[in-house]
Amino acid sequence: MVDPLILGAIGAGLAVGIAGLGSGIGAGITGASGAGVVAEDPNKFGTAIVFQALPQTQGLYGFLVAILILFVFKTTATAWAMFAAGLAVGLAGLSAIGQGIAASAGLGAVAEDNSIFGKAMVFSVLPETQAIYGLLVAILLLVGVFKSPGSTGVAALGAGFAVGFAGLSGIGQGITAAGAIGATARDPDAMGKGLVLAVMPETFAIFGLLIAILIMLGIMFS
Amino acid sequence: MKPVRMKKLKAVILDEKIDNVVRNLHEEGIVELCDLSEKLEDIEWKTLLSPSSSADYVRNVTTLMIKAGRILDMFSSVSQKETSIKDILNPKPVEKKKVSFNSYQEVIEYAEKVLNEISKEVDEPAERLSELDNRKSKLLQLKDQISYLKGLEFDLKYLGPGEYVFIGAGSVPKERVDELKTELDKVADGYIEVFTGNEFEKDKKIRVPIIFITLKEKLESVLSEIRKFEFERYDITDVEGTPSEALSKIESELKAIESERNNLIEKLKALAQKWEKELLAVYELLSIEKERGDAYSQFGRTNRTYYMEAWVPARDAEKAKKLIENSADGFAFVEISEPDEPEEKIPVLLDNPKAIKPFEMLTEMYALPKYNEVDPTLLLVPGFLLFYGIMLTDAVYGVLLTLAGLFMWKKIGKVNEGASKLGYILTLAGISTIIMGIITGGYLGDFLYEFLGFDITKTPLALVNPLGESYYINSNSPLFTLGSISVTNGPMAILVFSIFVGLIHLLIGLCVGFKENIARGNTGDAFINQGVWIILILSIFVGIGLMFAGASATIAGGIIGVAVLLAILASMYKGYKSGGVMEAILGAMDITGFLGNVLSYARLLALCLATGGLAMAVNIMAKLVGESIPIIGIILAIIVLLVGHIFNFVMNGLGSFIHSLRLHYVEFFSQFYEGGGKKFIPFKANREYTTT
Repeated sequence: MVDPLILGAIGAGLAVGIAGLGSGIGAGITGASGAGVVAEDPNKFGTAIVFQALPQTQGLYGFLVAILILFVFKTTATAWAMFAAGLAVGLAGLSAIGQGIAASAGLGAVAEDNSIFGKAMVFSVLPETQAIYGLLVAILLLVGVFKSPGSTGVAALGAGFAVGFAGLSGIGQGITAAGAIGATARDPDAMGKGLVLAVMPETFAIFGLLIAILIMLGIMFS
Repeated sequence: MKPVRMKKLKAVILDEKIDNVVRNLHEEGIVELCDLSEKLEDIEWKTLLSPSSSADYVRNVTTLMIKAGRILDMFSSVSQKETSIKDILNPKPVEKKKVSFNSYQEVIEYAEKVLNEISKEVDEPAERLSELDNRKSKLLQLKDQISYLKGLEFDLKYLGPGEYVFIGAGSVPKERVDELKTELDKVADGYIEVFTGNEFEKDKKIRVPIIFITLKEKLESVLSEIRKFEFERYDITDVEGTPSEALSKIESELKAIESERNNLIEKLKALAQKWEKELLAVYELLSIEKERGDAYSQFGRTNRTYYMEAWVPARDAEKAKKLIENSADGFAFVEISEPDEPEEKIPVLLDNPKAIKPFEMLTEMYALPKYNEVDPTLLLVPGFLLFYGIMLTDAVYGVLLTLAGLFMWKKIGKVNEGASKLGYILTLAGISTIIMGIITGGYLGDFLYEFLGFDITKTPLALVNPLGESYYINSNSPLFTLGSISVTNGPMAILVFSIFVGLIHLLIGLCVGFKENIARGNTGDAFINQGVWIILILSIFVGIGLMFAGASATIAGGIIGVAVLLAILASMYKGYKSGGVMEAILGAMDITGFLGNVLSYARLLALCLATGGLAMAVNIMAKLVGESIPIIGIILAIIVLLVGHIFNFVMNGLGSFIHSLRLHYVEFFSQFYEGGGKKFIPFKANREYTTT
């Protein structure tokens, strides 16, 4: 048996590392568009900051899980649960890339027309779902909600992979959301249909979450 | 639950009385005028009515508005208003000027009088100011150019054309000076003299000032030649003395101008203080008059009458009719009828009780309902507040949010309607957050445990612990056990609760959609789009209920399975009807959409954990800092706590708001709501600085 703390440390590193990678790229994309907007109108600085904050939340979730692994659950959670939790929140955090794309489109639309702020915000926040699912699975693993081998043994990695890789659908969702923001900016009534299109890629994140929960429940071990 | 019922108002009014009618309608603000210009294109209407144009007085009003606008611009340029933070946080409502005018003539007369009075005092200093500004910019340019002519000691008054010769000044790049001299000599046949001064640096290039003297006859060829050498010409006129003398003269003149300017600005500032309010009021009165005059262009007219059409809420219809008849002294014929236009042309005005009126902004952000659609505002309120509370779940954050909301609502809201509405929503959301925070024992995360060693989750004070077991829910006393799954800790309990709430939420949406479809007579659609899903949700409840009652999982699974099959078949049928076999196969995927909708509510748990978890991370970091660094550690810990918690509060406060909205827009609205109505925009005088 490996020392649980080693796997825990790797999990914490993956959590903050991969999620940070996603958030960094996402915030960079939004930041670039923010710099352009601020150059045209310095008063838009606050708006730019708000939109740039959106893709940073994934990094924050990764950081949160890392702290939880290092300080809170290092003794109670199993080694593999810690490792898998880091994987889940880290990989799912890559959805920040998509969120960055959406937020940059949102920021561009708001720079033209302030009244669209709320709508742009709703669209920009869509690709966060994937990261939230990742966080959800990570916490469920760490707290030990399920006692089956699926959430305590090596199998937990499967749950982490499921929700983590499915979380990459956030990138696609971000691209759709960015397009939908453009459509809504031209025609405010397009919001409803735009939302329907933009939540399509989320289906796969939900498959991932579902499978992750089934693995954690230990459905195949009984 | 539906937008306000509308009536169509049609009126024929004698032209003498139209001004009074328009004025009174505009003050009352209960009707929306219909633009008839399109309708009047129609051949039948054309024989009856001709299109009308804006009232004649609009031109006068516009002229006065331009004049007033110019003075206002000048006022704002001299007196930069300092808006202190105090003003932003606690704005004072504008003092409104009481006015009573009965016709446009009176308004125009009044505006002329005030503007003349202001002009008398303001025009002279304002003109002088702009003169000074012109002179100043000219002097600055001269100063700039003369300063380059250093080393050329001659009297500047000789520059320009004389009787026989022309003297010009300028500069060229240093390396081309010699070439220039020979070339100029050639084109002027030797009738030219070029002097050079001390070199200087401009735009990272070394340049040399030159003076050239040539015969007037040669000037043209010299100028065309000299252009080839990147020559920069200095147009120096009306200056006497050597460059250094001229420079000191310009300096002293600039100083004099500056002091006169300051005096003038002080004077204008005082005038701005005195007149600005009055002027703003006049400007507003004029724009109101303009709006009235422009309204005429939406009417149709005959020789002696105007014809207007307008939308009016049914409850105000009689009032509007009386108003028109009275203002026209009876010289009007008004007819009120049911809407005679297609649904999408009828304007939509939402009508909700005062307590939930502010939430209309959330509905509007998605899209206003169509005229015959259900108004979802009332349905949105309980879910929104509940979800917000669950996602933020911290009593202290809740108190902060309530205070911030109250502040926005009561203070900033006095002058800003949007802030007032948002403040109201945030206040309620804050209260919901406090309740949820108390239920989950979240007070700045686990602050009490980290710093005071008091673990609230082990006491009866907290119902559930989002991160583990609590006094009520633990492995010894599970909330419930179903088959092999027993709910023994907080996350599991909240997850089950989230999914349950999600199902209920979807069920409500589906039922509303079902009822709507039935009311519209689309029984088939009602069954395929909503009915099967309602049956599915109900069968899930029944199945699980039976399991609680002791039935085996097979029976429950059977019931749910049948409902799932029914739903798949129904959506395949729906797909088949709309586009054949391919669509039917895609239709079978609708079940995953439903699953997605339900699982999406799991974000309630995730965000609830995120707030509590991040708060805990802040506490842990603060504790680490406080314990590991001696003496200043405590101060650093406090800073970490303050910054960390404020950050967490703002981030998650925003996140909860948007995710709560999302659950409504994406999951809830898609069950029954389409939207796309046109907003009712009353013909109403917008008064900010005046009141009647």
